[in-house]
Amino acid sequence: MMNNIPDPNTYAALPEEMFVIGEDDTLAEEIARPSTTYWHDVWQRFRKDKLAVAGLIVIAIMTVLCIVMPLVSPYTYDGSDYLHMNNPPSWEHLCGTDQMGRDQFIRIMYGARISLTIGFVAAFINFVIGVIYGGLSGYLGGRVDMVLMRIVDILSSLPSLLYIVLIMLIFGSNIGSVILALCFTSWIGTARVVRSEVMHLKHSEYVLANRLSGATTWHLLIHHLLPNAMGPIIVSTAFLIPGAIFSEAFLSFLGIGIQAPQASWGSLANSAIPVMQMYPHLMLFPVIAICITMFSFNFIGDGLRDALDPRLKK
Amino acid sequence: MSKLLEVKNLTTSFRIGVGLVQAVRGISFHVDEGESIGIVGESGSGKSVTMLSVMGLLPDYADIKADSILFNGREMTAMNEKELRAMHGSEIGMIFQDPMTSLNPLFTVEQQLTESLKIHQGLKKQEARARALELLKLAEIPNPEARLKQYPHELSGGMRQRVMIAIAIACSPKMVIADEPTTALDVTIQAQILDLLNHLKQEMKTSIIMITHDLGVIASMCSRIQVMYGGTICEQGTAREIFYDPKHPYTWGLLNSIPKLTGDTNEKLIPIRGTPPDMLMPPKGCPFAPRCQYCMPVCREYMPPRTVLGDTHAVACHLMHPKAPKVLRREG
Amino acid sequence: MLKYIIKRLLAGVLTMVVLITVTFFMMHAMPGGPFSPSEEKNVPIEVLERIAASYGLDQPVWKQYLNYWGNLLHGDLGVSYKTVGTVNEKISGHFPASARVGGLAVIFSLLVGIPMGLLAAIYRGKVADFTTLALATIGISVPVFVLSLLLSYLFSSKLNWLPTYGLDSWLCYILPVLCLSFNPIAYIARQTRSSMLEALEQDYVRTARAKGVSELMVVCKHALKNALTPVITYLGPLVAGLLTGSFIVESRFAIPGLGYYFVRSISDRDYTMIMGIVIFFGLFVVICNLISDILLAIVDPRVKLTND
Repeated sequence: MMNNIPDPNTYAALPEEMFVIGEDDTLAEEIARPSTTYWHDVWQRFRKDKLAVAGLIVIAIMTVLCIVMPLVSPYTYDGSDYLHMNNPPSWEHLCGTDQMGRDQFIRIMYGARISLTIGFVAAFINFVIGVIYGGLSGYLGGRVDMVLMRIVDILSSLPSLLYIVLIMLIFGSNIGSVILALCFTSWIGTARVVRSEVMHLKHSEYVLANRLSGATTWHLLIHHLLPNAMGPIIVSTAFLIPGAIFSEAFLSFLGIGIQAPQASWGSLANSAIPVMQMYPHLMLFPVIAICITMFSFNFIGDGLRDALDPRLKK
Repeated sequence: MSKLLEVKNLTTSFRIGVGLVQAVRGISFHVDEGESIGIVGESGSGKSVTMLSVMGLLPDYADIKADSILFNGREMTAMNEKELRAMHGSEIGMIFQDPMTSLNPLFTVEQQLTESLKIHQGLKKQEARARALELLKLAEIPNPEARLKQYPHELSGGMRQRVMIAIAIACSPKMVIADEPTTALDVTIQAQILDLLNHLKQEMKTSIIMITHDLGVIASMCSRIQVMYGGTICEQGTAREIFYDPKHPYTWGLLNSIPKLTGDTNEKLIPIRGTPPDMLMPPKGCPFAPRCQYCMPVCREYMPPRTVLGDTHAVACHLMHPKAPKVLRREG
Repeated sequence: MLKYIIKRLLAGVLTMVVLITVTFFMMHAMPGGPFSPSEEKNVPIEVLERIAASYGLDQPVWKQYLNYWGNLLHGDLGVSYKTVGTVNEKISGHFPASARVGGLAVIFSLLVGIPMGLLAAIYRGKVADFTTLALATIGISVPVFVLSLLLSYLFSSKLNWLPTYGLDSWLCYILPVLCLSFNPIAYIARQTRSSMLEALEQDYVRTARAKGVSELMVVCKHALKNALTPVITYLGPLVAGLLTGSFIVESRFAIPGLGYYFVRSISDRDYTMIMGIVIFFGLFVVICNLISDILLAIVDPRVKLTND
């Protein structure tokens, strides 16, 4: 099948015309695979990852639901109905009601608002800090880089969970301080990635070539260094989102995060502990919500990593 | 002389996501005992894959088929994993292209050098060390005692390649496969490494298969040369035949692209136009046709059959057909 | 080697200084001191002031800071404000419980995580691989408090197989150790798998095969040693984190460990206890990192050069 060699008789009988050296200079006409742009490629690879696409869809649905549901639902997150306390799930209350007769479903939706907000905002802030810090460190290099990296080394060897707790205690329990606490050390990973990418690119030949042709520092940074470093940065940011959501749930679960009557998934789970035996649905739904979200974000992160850096997958 | 290695109709392809990459397409060759042959070709021509297939060192997504691979009278295609491994390092040694990455960074030179001695010859630690010292001396490495305790990152590129050579010849193999052994090295070091290989070949009576993209490297070492392109052998012959009476336009191209040290400063190097074919979709005719100056309609239709020109010389080109025009090599 | 260790040690000392300073001032920025009128409503203000003075809390902050350092250098972490006894006593009393559970969790994570990752890499694309990846994804995605709730609900409340609190018998260790090691196992398995896959594609693995090294030795000697370096780096933070106890797991299973007391002293605003525990944690993290750095330098001789 592979070797298209004619048998001797056919070969000998081939007509003369077949043996004329071509005048046409259509040499080296290449049968190349269709070339595509990098981002198009990334999207194609990402699309093939079913889990990642499923994760993306789940997060999209959750975002829409948590925005829309509280607007159209007859219940509010703090509206108690003392006639219907600890009700099991029903058509009226999809996820049942809690100890104070509040609709569990709407409280989970409010929890989703908080979790997603914290996830995205914290990831964004960490992304900005990380890119600026790592970019400066990598670009300036030398002494500045050394000092900045020592600071990062020290920060990263602090037990960050303890400091998150301390920050929460100082600034009180609300979304703002949760985000602040999460921005304490989470950007370190991004900063390191950005730094090493920038360092690597700074010494690469195409940047040198651009520099020789008279490009300014800013032009280089904005048009060449960052777009090329974007892949790893996006991946590390994507994983910051589930990390932030997890930390918020953790803090609320400990009782120092989001405070009642506001609801967060962590605090919902926490307040269900005492009645876990009798009303397992109060525990079940917030826990399912957390797990689905964590899974979705982790799948998206994995999918992005594989799509952005196909070398890692193969 | 008896044949040490004889490969018949070897085909290797890689299963990758989008399809089958046909890296080697039905090639046959042999190596005599104590003989050195060279395999020449551009990157992607299938020359390294050929030898890795023979050794059975390709990853499992590679599909290797051959009518027969005889080594020293034994059929390698019928061997199981264990029998193959017993031959690796003891009867066939291998030297790889990049000495920076081919040595394990976490083990000392001694650990890596004595490993095959311990496996194949059952040497004890002390005996193995004594032999390792001998080998390092053989590979002309200065201060061998100190080198034994060092890690690869503490050695220069040339030194590492010498260590690789010492590893390859540790068990006095009948055949050494050198896969671009000098490509990653400085020019001066290249010459030294080639000298060393030549010297070892004469001293140890080892057959050497030299894989390279550089005809110049081969000239001094190999009695026979085969030129590969697009996973096929396009021309094979003695060094004399390849250098002085080449028949295939691709061989002409290769020869024209090496500088001749005749002192003629106006000498023009003629590059071969275009790039090697995509082996995911190889052309149905001659793989070189799209880049060939002498391309004929037949070249695009059929792959050229092998034309035997003498005891040692054979070429696969449609220009050998009686109806084809007679063209002469244009020298650079 | 010695130079490298000294360098790491100095970095560790610097980290400790920063840690102590930051913690100290953070504690003082916290609203409501241990003896502030808002906290203790039933005690007359004069009495509170006298108690505060007896602990030196009426002095300016910088003086308190220096005092704290003075005591610290003598190994004295101070007296607990809210409970009877010194901080040193509290830590030495509660650390062993944390260390036992944490130590078991570390061993368990390594014993399960590394072989899992190894098998996944060798049988890539096969059942072992998918199972490992699925378990690892669950391990990374399911928060530890969710896991501890589910496990205690299932095995204690419903099935009544395992006790939910205390450390009285070996059965008590099963659930906490499982909860603590779940996430590390996932991390180690994933890390081992990916670095193993990378190692198996390296040229030196091909060299080893070409030398005739058996496949088992290629994997277990040449590739694994290289693949484990990232795991060693992770070991420091892991050991420190697990040995010093997880807040959640210790509170959930009522283990009288350090994590549990840390959470309690936070709600008590017991400054000296919080500071003491944070410093102890910090010291522990620094030491564990130092050990894993040294271990890494022993395994990988190149580290000493690149980390200069």
